[in-house]
Formats: sequence, C-alpha cells, structure tokens
Amino acid sequence: MQKGDMFVGWSTKEDIRKRGGSGGLVTSVLAAALDKKLVDAVVVLRKINEFEAVPVITSDVNEVLKSAGSLHSVPSNFAKIIANKNLKVALPAKGCDTRGIIEQSKRNAVSLDNTFIIGLNCGGSMHPSVTREMLEIMYKIKPEDVHGEEIEKGKLIFETKDGKEHAITIDELEEKGYGRRESCRYCMIKIPTNADLACGNWGVVGDLAGKATFVEVNSEKGAKLLQNAIDAGYVQVEKPDEKGVAARAKIKGAMEGLGKKWKDKVFVPMDNRLEYFRKELEHCIDCGACKTVCPTCSCGDVSKCTEYHLRGDAYKMSMYHLIRFLHLADSCIGCGQCSDVCPVDIPLTRLYRRFANPMQEQLKYEPGMDLRKPPYFEAKLEV
Amino acid sequence: MSAEAVAPNTNGWEPKIVAFCCNWCSYGGADSAGMGRFQQPPSTRIIRVMCSGRIDPLHVFNAFLEGADAVLVTGCHIGDCHYVNGNDKTKIKYKFLENVAQELGIEKERLQLNWISASEGERFANFIRDVTAQIKKLGPSPLKPAGVV
Repeated sequence: MQKGDMFVGWSTKEDIRKRGGSGGLVTSVLAAALDKKLVDAVVVLRKINEFEAVPVITSDVNEVLKSAGSLHSVPSNFAKIIANKNLKVALPAKGCDTRGIIEQSKRNAVSLDNTFIIGLNCGGSMHPSVTREMLEIMYKIKPEDVHGEEIEKGKLIFETKDGKEHAITIDELEEKGYGRRESCRYCMIKIPTNADLACGNWGVVGDLAGKATFVEVNSEKGAKLLQNAIDAGYVQVEKPDEKGVAARAKIKGAMEGLGKKWKDKVFVPMDNRLEYFRKELEHCIDCGACKTVCPTCSCGDVSKCTEYHLRGDAYKMSMYHLIRFLHLADSCIGCGQCSDVCPVDIPLTRLYRRFANPMQEQLKYEPGMDLRKPPYFEAKLEV
Repeated sequence: MSAEAVAPNTNGWEPKIVAFCCNWCSYGGADSAGMGRFQQPPSTRIIRVMCSGRIDPLHVFNAFLEGADAVLVTGCHIGDCHYVNGNDKTKIKYKFLENVAQELGIEKERLQLNWISASEGERFANFIRDVTAQIKKLGPSPLKPAGVV
C-alpha cells in the first residue's frame, strides 16, 4: 500500500456497520489504531442527542466504537482540542479540521508526526439551533423526534423515530436561509487531500452503495494507519470500481462549482465598507470567543489582539478586530467557528474572509493545505 | 516657513500626519531636509524607530484610531538596511496593512510607504508636501474619534 492508492472498504464488525455511516470504516480504523497501540488516544464526539455532542480525547476502545455514526449538525473543530497536548493521537477530521491541525503544527502546537488524520469528505455541516428551527418550520417535525439524518443526491433527509423519511432539497432550504452554515456553502475543500486518509461515501457504486467507504491514501502515515486496521482484522478493503473513481471526481467538481458560485454571491464588491464593518461590529461585547475557538490562532491568553484593546477606548473601530483582520488575512481557513460561537451573531467568518480572500489569492497561499510557512512570517516576500 | 510652501488652507483645517522614520535613513533624511532648508508643511509628527522593521501594524492602527489623517511608513532603500533585511520584513507587513486598509475602505493616500535615504532631504520634503496636499483634498480621516481635531 502506498500514497495515491484508492480502496473501498467496510468494517468487519456487524454492529459498527449497522450504527456507523457508510460501512463504519472510519470508526474501525480509529478503534484498530487504539487497540494495536499505534496511538495513545483518539478524538471522537460523545453524542448527547442529534444536535449536541462533546468532543472527547479517549483511550477507551469502547468509547470509540460507541461514537459510530455521523452528525451533520454538530459543527466542531478538533484542531484546538489536540493543540499543546503532546499526544500521539488519531482523529477524524473534515477539510477544515485538517487545515486547522496543519496550521497549528506550523505554529509548533501540534506535531504532525504524532498525529494521524483521517480526513472526511464534507459537503457542509449545519448549525444545531438553525437545524432545530428548520425542522419545525420547513419539515414540520419536532426536533426531538429525529432519529437520523442523511444527505443524498442534493437532498437533506431526516428520519423520525416512527421510521418515516422527510426530504427537502438543500437548494430550497438554503434559499430560505436554512441548510448548511454559510462558511460551508463557499468552502472549496470538499475532499481533504491534505489529511493522511480521505474517506467518504462518494465513489461507492453498485451493490456497495451506502454500505462502504471510499478511501484515498494521501500519505505514508495514512498507509500505515489503514494497513494496521486491515492486519488487526477490523476492516476489509477491495479495489474500487473505475466508475466509482469517476463518480467521486464528478461529485467533487460539482460541489466545488457550487462553492465558487456561493463565493461570488456572498462577496459582492461594495462601497462604503468602513460603515459596513462598523455596523456589523457595533454589537461586539468583547467576549473573545471568536479568538478562543479559532483553529489557526495559537497566541494563547496573552496576545496582541487582546492586550492592546481596551473596552474604554472611544475608537471608531475595535483594535481587537483590526488586529484579528490582519493576522487572519493569510491564515483564515474559513471554518466558520467564529460565526457559530458569537453570542451577538456577528457574521465574523464573512468579515474575515473579506480580508483573507484577496490576500490569499494574491500570495497564492492556501493555509492548511501544505506545509508552506505563512507569508506573514517569511523574511522576504516570495510572490 | 514661506507662504508658498504651505498649500491653501481648507477652512483652517490642517491634516495631522504620523510619519514613522527609521533611525538610519529616513530620520536622517528628515534631518537633512531641515539642514538643506527644503520647505515642508508643519503637518507631520515624526516617530523615530530604530528600523522600519520595528513598525508593527499595531502602531499604524493605533495612529489611525487616535486620529491621524495619514500614516507614512518610511525606511532605508531595499538592500541598504542597517540591519541587513529589516526593510524586507517591513515590505511584508506593509502588504498586509495595505490590504486591511483597502478592504476597510480607507483611501490609499492615507497609508503610504516610501524608501528615503539619509541624503535625500529634498525627497523627504517633497514627499511630505505631496501627501499633505493629497490629504487636504480628502479631508479628515473617517477613523478620527469624536472630539479630536
């Protein structure tokens, strides 16, 4: 097995296959890594209900097995959870989690040699409170009755406890302001090629559809991780169908096209930007939550943005946000965590991306996609 | 100061310009502008730093937020830095600063970068004169806090 190989695989354990999505391969790979002492710990979500889960670092195989199954409406980011912990760890990660982890490693908070990243294909995640509202208004079902959810062929499907399925197209939901989080709509990383393994149900065709996971090996670490799971008897793999590989590429292309369209729609050029930014930021209560969750920020408690900012300053723009705008211009990965946690609902990701988009395009720098040093820290500008 | 050196006054308002000058080049340039008696308007407040690489974007933001109408970042010519590559780092920081200022909607005349050596007194005086004239046309900065003239 080597870098660039593709497989279709599934868990050998009946129970995980049933509870986990797409054959439960990811859960089994994680459990095998823990079981065979490839890693000391694994990060998983401990599920509370369909809309709530807590990320935990665990060394218990049973906890890992219990976490099987996907949650689309729990937007979490694992990068900050493993930062500064010095752990040998394996974790599942969406494109943005992976980018966050790589950015943390550039800032010496994570050692990539000790981190096994299982990338998950991601078409977008949803905000829990928005999802609850959407269920009541659009689907006309009680959030408590929801048993499972799935995204298939552009439709968001909720399954209720009585076994009925309720489906509405994502386009229709997003037109009404529901559906995926805004940052997911214009995200361009659908298949995490920067992770060690890239897993997902795209490209699984024929009889296996829905029962297996498509895996692409992106690094030697990834090959080691998958080989370990096969040797331990946790997963079974076979060569993918030619048609499947083509289908996967086609879905990726279509999703990226959609992302590009959203990007043009959200970031329209405008006049009087200063007033726009002042208006958006005027409700800020200086809680600092956006900085705490930011997966690329690694300054800690004492940082430039907080130390030079005083609530009493009668400034027209907050110093805190000005410094954040500048620092994130080259490193914002657009994960949307800041907008999610903002208690006064400032669309922060949109604001940060306004600064980051032109800068990252100009510098040809995609944060978290490779190991290139952030341009701000370079001694001489290359581009 | 002779009368013609100062551009016509707009309602008695004089812009306040903060100029960051590096100790080895542009501060010397400002000095030689005075020694050579090159006329310049009294709109600048010079802040001397040891190297233009020391100028943190924070300093520039602070100047704007405290009421500066324009901020000038000046240093040695590329390759002439007293500390080998300090001004290369300035260039990177300035690129980011420029981006923030532009996206924020601050006119590009309000934030300028110029390399001035210690012997270029005339160039320094001309630069200050040009910037003052540009800012007078633009009027007070939109970031100026209430009550600051």
